[in-house]
Amino acid sequence: MPLAASTYLVAHELSYAYPYRGRARSVPAVSGISLAVARGSFTGLLGPNGCGKTTLLKLMAGVLSPAAGSVTLEGRVLADLPRRVAARHVAVVPQDTHPAFDYTALEIVLMGRHPHLRAMQLEGPGDLAIAHESLEATGTLHLAHRPFTSLSGGERQRVVIASALAQQPDLLLLDEPTASLDLRYQLEVAALLRRLSREHDVTMVMATHDLNLAASMCDSLALIRNGRLLGHGPTNEVLTADTVRQLYDVDADVRFHAEAGHLTVTPVRRAG
Amino acid sequence: MITDGSTHAGVHTALATARPIRARLAWTVSVFGLLAAATCVLAPLVGSTPISLRRALDPSLPFASNVDAQILFIARLPRVLAGALVGASLASSGVVFQALLRNPLATPFTLGVSAGASLGAMLVIILGGTIAVGPWSPVPAASLAGAAVAAAIVYALANGPRRAMSTTVLLLAGVTLNAFFSALILFVQYLADFAEVYRATRWLMGDLDVGGFAPILGALPLLVGSAVIFAVLPSSLNLMGVDPDSASSRGVDVAATQRWAFISASLATSAAVALAGPIGFVGIVVPHLVRLLVGVDHRIVLPASALFGATFLVACDLVARTLLAPVEMPVGVVTAIIGGPFFLWLLVREG
Amino acid sequence: MAARARRLVPWNRISWPALRLGVAVLMGLAAVAAGCGEAAPPPDKARRIVSLVPAVTEMLFAIGAGPQIVGVSSYDHFPPEVEALPKVGALLDPDTERILSLRPDLVVVYGSQTDVDAHFKKAGIRTFNYRHGANGAILATLDTITALGAATGHDAQAREVVTRVTTGLDTVRTRVAGLDRPRTLLVMGRQPGTLQGVYAAGGVGFLHEMLGVAGGANVFDDVQRESVQPSTETLLTRAPDAVLELHATAPAGNYPGGELAVWDKLASIPAVRNRRVYSLVGDFVVVAGPRLAEGAEAMARALHPEAFK
Repeated sequence: MPLAASTYLVAHELSYAYPYRGRARSVPAVSGISLAVARGSFTGLLGPNGCGKTTLLKLMAGVLSPAAGSVTLEGRVLADLPRRVAARHVAVVPQDTHPAFDYTALEIVLMGRHPHLRAMQLEGPGDLAIAHESLEATGTLHLAHRPFTSLSGGERQRVVIASALAQQPDLLLLDEPTASLDLRYQLEVAALLRRLSREHDVTMVMATHDLNLAASMCDSLALIRNGRLLGHGPTNEVLTADTVRQLYDVDADVRFHAEAGHLTVTPVRRAG
Repeated sequence: MITDGSTHAGVHTALATARPIRARLAWTVSVFGLLAAATCVLAPLVGSTPISLRRALDPSLPFASNVDAQILFIARLPRVLAGALVGASLASSGVVFQALLRNPLATPFTLGVSAGASLGAMLVIILGGTIAVGPWSPVPAASLAGAAVAAAIVYALANGPRRAMSTTVLLLAGVTLNAFFSALILFVQYLADFAEVYRATRWLMGDLDVGGFAPILGALPLLVGSAVIFAVLPSSLNLMGVDPDSASSRGVDVAATQRWAFISASLATSAAVALAGPIGFVGIVVPHLVRLLVGVDHRIVLPASALFGATFLVACDLVARTLLAPVEMPVGVVTAIIGGPFFLWLLVREG
Repeated sequence: MAARARRLVPWNRISWPALRLGVAVLMGLAAVAAGCGEAAPPPDKARRIVSLVPAVTEMLFAIGAGPQIVGVSSYDHFPPEVEALPKVGALLDPDTERILSLRPDLVVVYGSQTDVDAHFKKAGIRTFNYRHGANGAILATLDTITALGAATGHDAQAREVVTRVTTGLDTVRTRVAGLDRPRTLLVMGRQPGTLQGVYAAGGVGFLHEMLGVAGGANVFDDVQRESVQPSTETLLTRAPDAVLELHATAPAGNYPGGELAVWDKLASIPAVRNRRVYSLVGDFVVVAGPRLAEGAEAMARALHPEAFK
C-alpha cells in the first residue's frame, strides 16, 4: 500500500489471540486487520462489545505484541522502537482508571511526562508547565491538588486525558472514553476531544460501541466485527443502515441531523 | 457531582504535593534523615544500665576494664545498627509489596517469605542443626534458606513467560504458603522438647540483640543489593499504581518491574527476618504514617519509609529494653502494641 | 453430658435450696477425693509402672524398681535399660492409649498434666504427681525419691539412695569449703554458633542449688526465677568470673576454635579473660534425679580444679 504523506499509522494484517490456560486453542481476538490512519484525523473503531476493538487499540499502542502482522508509525515498525521512544508518540486513554493509591490530579498528569524523562530523572519546571497546560486544555486546572479519587467521573476522565496530552503524543488512542459517564459528562468529554483534535493537531483513534458518539466525533470509521474489518472510510460514506445491520443485527434509521451537524443513528428494531 | 476532596486523603503537609518534587524530595530526605541519625546516635547512650559517654570514650582507660565502653561498643552499638538496618528494610519492602499487590494493606509478610524464614529457623532450633555458613550461624542461615524456598515457590506460581504477574495469583500463592508453613511450624514445635519450644517461641518474637557485628555484616550484602534495586523502582511503581496498561504504554516494562519488585522486596525481608526474627507491624505502620505525611509518590515514600523505619524500630527497641528494666520485652511485642491500635485507628478513619 | 441432662430439667420446678445443698455436697465430695489422690498412698506396691518423667525414671531404677517399669517417656535415655522399653510420649503429647494398653497400675505424670491425670483416675489407675520443685529443689528431689520408695514398695532402697546422694553432696561441699566462690553464669541453652538467645539459671531451682553446693555463686542470684534471658548488655554488666555451659548431649557442629569460641565476643568479661569458660556434657547435669551429686561434682571440678587434685 503506498504510503501517503499524510498517513500516520499503518496496521498491516494484524492478528492476535489471547492465551487461555488449559484450552487447546486460544481465542482469536483480531484476525488479519489492515488499516491506515491519516494524520490529524479522528478515527473511530466501531463495533459491538467483544468485537476486538480494544485489542486492536492495544496492538496499536504496543501494549500487546501481534501474533502476526505489524504496526508502523510513520514508516517505523512499532515493535522495533524502544518502549520509551514509542511512548513519546503514542498515548493511551483507558476506559476507566482506578489508582491503587491516592494520587492527586497533578501527580497523575505529571506521570505523562515519564517517556520524556531519563531513567532516574525527576520532573523539572518545564514538565510542570506542560502539565499545567494539559490540565488547562481539559478545563481541570482548578482540580490539580485534589485527590483523583475524590473527583467525579467526568472530571476523572478529563484528568486522564490531560495526562495523555502531557505525553505530547502524535497519536492519542482512546478506549471507550465516555462509556462509564453520565450523559452530561459524555457531551462534555466529547466536545473536549473534538476541540483537542482540531486545535492541537493530535491524531485520534477511539474505540467505541456507541454509534451516535462515533458519528458525532469521528471523521472516519473502521467497522469491526468478530475480529475482522468490515469496512473503513469517511464516516458519511461508511455509516449506513446496511453497515449498522451488519455490525449489530439491528435495523436502524441513519440520517443527517442538521442542528447537531452530524449523522445520527436511531435503532428501530432487531433485524432478521 | 462535585465532592469536597480536601478532607479525604489525610494530612497533606508542607511536605506534600503543592511543591515541585525535587524540593519535596530534598526536604523529606533531610528531615527524615536527621531524625534517623539523631535516633541512632542517642539510642546507644540509653539503656537498662546507665553509662557515661565520657568514660566510654576515654582512651586512657584499658578496654578490658572499661565497662561503659564494653556496653556501648559490644552490646548497644551492634543492636542499634541491626535495628536501623532491619527497620529500614522491613519498611521499604513493605512499600514495594504494597505497590506490587496494588494494596496499601499488604505487609512484607503477606506473601509467605516470613513464614518460610520462620520454618527454617524452627527446623534448626528443634532438630538441632549446626551448619554455619560463613558469618551466618545455623539458625539465621536456615532461616534465609527457608525464606528463599518460600519466595521461589510464590515466584514460580505467579510468573508466566513474558506476561505480567497476576496479582491475584501472587496473593493466593502467598496466603496459601503462609497458612501451610504456619501449620508446619506448629507441627514441628509439637514434636519438640520443652526447652526447644521455648527457644523457638522466643525466636518468633524477634530479637535485635544479634550477638555482634558479624551477623550484620553477613546480612549487609543482601540488604545493600535490595536497596540498589529499590532505588530504580519508584517511578515505575507510580505509573503501575495508577494503571498497569497505561504504564506499559508510557514505557514501563510492567512484567520486569513486577519481577524486580518481588525479588528485591523478598530479599530485603528474608535478610531482615533471618537476622532478627519476624518483627511485625514495621512494614505496614511506617509506610502508612509516611504516606499521611508526604503523599503517595513512591519516589518520596520509599526513601522516607526506609529512614523512618530505621527510626521507628530503633525507638521501639529502646522502649523494649528499658521500659521494664532489667527484664527485656521482645521488640516484636512493642511494635505490635504500638502498631495494632494505630492500625485500628487507621481503619476507623478510612471507614 | 451434664449439660444435656440439665436441659431435660424443667427449670421452673427446681427447688433452689435443694440445688444449693446438692452443689455443696458435690464440692465436699470432690475435696475429699482430691485430698485422697495426693495424701495417703494406697497399700499395694505398684507392679506395672509407666513413667512420663525422665528424672523419675532414673529414680525408679536407682531404688530398684526398674523391673517394675513397663513404659517410659520419649525423652528417657538413662539408664541404658530404658532403650528397650516402650515409649509413650511426654509432657505435651502423652499417648494415653498406649499407656492404657500397657495395663499399668501406677503412672507418673507431671503436676501440670491435670487432664491426663484425671483420665487415669477415672480409669481407676493410680497416678504419681511429679512436681518440679522450685524452692528447696534438692530437698524436693530427695523427698520424691522417698515417696517413690513408698509407692513401689522399695522403701529401704529409697532410703539408701537418699543417703548416698546426701553424702555425695556433702562431700562436694566439704571439698570446696573455704575456697573463693566465683560469680558464675550457668548457661542452660543458647542458639548454636552464636551468643543469641542465652538462657541462664536464675536464683531459684535445682541448678542454682547445685551450683551453690559446687562452690559457685550464681551471677543471677538476685533473680527470683528459675530461668533468665540475659541480653548482651546484661552479660557485660554482670561480668561473671566463670561460665558453665550445660549440655545434655554433646553439641555437634564444627566451629573454628570450638563451640565455646563464641564467648570471645565478650572478651572483656573476667570469665573469658581468665579462660574460665567450661562446657559440661551429660544429662546428669540437667536432670534433677539420683545423680545430683555427680552433677554437683562435675560443676565443682570445673570451678575448683585445684580442690580435686
